[in-house]
Amino acid sequence: MADALMMGLGGLAVLIFLIAIRIPIAYAMIVVGGIGTMLLNGPALVFSQLKTLAYGQFSIYDLSVVPMFVLMGAIAAKTGLSQALFRAANAWLGWLRGGTAMAAIAGCAGFGAVCGSSLATASTMGKVALPELRRYHYSGALATGTLAAGGVLGILIPPSVVLIIYAIIVEANIVTMFMAAFVPGLLAVILFLLTIAIYVTIWPDAGPRGGIPERREFIDATMGVIPVLIIFGLVIGGIYLGFFNPTPAAAVGVSLVLLFGVLQRQLSVRDMISAMKETAATSGMIYLIILGAELLKIFMSRVGLPQETAQWVSGSGLSPMAVMIILLVALILLGCLMDSLSMILLVIPFFWPVLVEINGGLYQGAEGAGFGMSTEDLKIWFGILALIVVELGLITPPVGMNVFVISSLSKDTPMIETFKGVAPFFGAEIVRVVLLVSFPALALWLPSILS
Amino acid sequence: MAQNPFDGSPGLAGAVSRLVSAWALLGGVVLLMVVGINMISIIGGIFGAPFPGDFELTEMGVAVAVFAFLPYCQLIGANVSADIFTMAASRRLIAFFTLLGSLIALGFSLILIWRMYYGMLDQKTYDYTTAILQIPHWLAFMPILISLALLALAACVTLSCDVKALSKG
Repeated sequence: MADALMMGLGGLAVLIFLIAIRIPIAYAMIVVGGIGTMLLNGPALVFSQLKTLAYGQFSIYDLSVVPMFVLMGAIAAKTGLSQALFRAANAWLGWLRGGTAMAAIAGCAGFGAVCGSSLATASTMGKVALPELRRYHYSGALATGTLAAGGVLGILIPPSVVLIIYAIIVEANIVTMFMAAFVPGLLAVILFLLTIAIYVTIWPDAGPRGGIPERREFIDATMGVIPVLIIFGLVIGGIYLGFFNPTPAAAVGVSLVLLFGVLQRQLSVRDMISAMKETAATSGMIYLIILGAELLKIFMSRVGLPQETAQWVSGSGLSPMAVMIILLVALILLGCLMDSLSMILLVIPFFWPVLVEINGGLYQGAEGAGFGMSTEDLKIWFGILALIVVELGLITPPVGMNVFVISSLSKDTPMIETFKGVAPFFGAEIVRVVLLVSFPALALWLPSILS
Repeated sequence: MAQNPFDGSPGLAGAVSRLVSAWALLGGVVLLMVVGINMISIIGGIFGAPFPGDFELTEMGVAVAVFAFLPYCQLIGANVSADIFTMAASRRLIAFFTLLGSLIALGFSLILIWRMYYGMLDQKTYDYTTAILQIPHWLAFMPILISLALLALAACVTLSCDVKALSKG
């Protein structure tokens, strides 16, 4: 037993080494998981599993929603949806001090509702909003910081790909997770808008007022968001109200976005090909990581590492809340080094059993539980928290992918300015995490009402 | 998004690149067909004519489509890695690490071709079919094996490119 455990730890060390030397994370997992199991139980077992393992993983029904939502987001990025959203938001908010930046946040939230990726949200809205922000003489720090931060709204506002993956790992209901994400997502929008309001109160020059739009422009612009409302209403509303499963809902989403693009005459064949290639790159990458994570999971559960860790932590005498905070801090730190999806697939299989153990087991009810809630609720609450904190890595050094993307769109703003501009939003995110840790009801309320 | 570094390059690499891109697009078409099947199922459901087997067609279709995406991912380097630890490393060293990645991809695709070929034979021998429409599962393995062969080809192309980068230093 102890030998097996040592092998598990050794495997983990090799995995970290492989990841550190730039081996694609999926392949690092495949190598460690595959070879580890071979050393443990002999090659015959792994070779026989490989006959159908990949096909089995790739044909999981719950996962089928992932490539469809990716496709929906990729097509949406080619249509005029992002312009329409920003124009409407700007008509409503642009006259305020800092209003155009607020409009960019609202646009990001709206685009996040049709696209499940933070990076895509940041880059799509960035292309639309950055020129406008420059036209109104917004400071480079505020303009780029806003858009880099706005991108992270994509992960919590459904449909989010990482959210779906989390739900599949911990065997949570995807629909429940979607519901739970709604209020925390909205909370982020409100906190971000407040952040901008405070920012421009302190530095009024950073975000001057825009003009008040004419009546005609106001009405036209407002009408422009109707397609987004219809798409979001049908897809997510349909899922919330139980009209359909996530997969058919995603199919409706793809069809509606396609229809919108064709009706607007914005979507050329060339755009469609490029959207499909993007979908191929993103979905292929995601599925390969999923396969790697599965192989790694087989190895790790055979050596018993997650179970052992869980027992060790729960026997350590730390209070449940202290453990939760340690795990969240660990996620923030790891998020600075790796992309969110690989990280969720890599660490949740270790973290989740720890929380289950502390809470009192998989079937623990609210009564007498370590966290004072049933394990089902814990699953939802921790998921929302984990998703928020892993995305923080997108706006912090050293990797800060959202910041890189926005910087590449805005060549005349030095990257250090963008990091400065994004810092207040990072603060707002910490406030949000503290609020959610203190009041789990923010995440748990909507699912309890709707189910 | 990532650009295809082999777009329009001459010779074998260019040919593989065109083939792999076309195959990924074909996978995209399969994905669109899955979308279509789900739409038919929903619309049919509204008018009281549900479409049996939409579940299994979705599962099979997505699996086939995603396998078709893998060679393209390898070719354009879409598989994410953590670059942060090696930012200070020399270009030579990084080229060597990238080469290792290509080697692993090649090994992985070859092993999977070997194993999934036998997986297909198993499916055929035991006559495994989907529950409702009775579609034999081995049919899905055919395009998947082609995808894996293309993945091996794509890994060879990235490998030779890495070797060139390494020898140039």
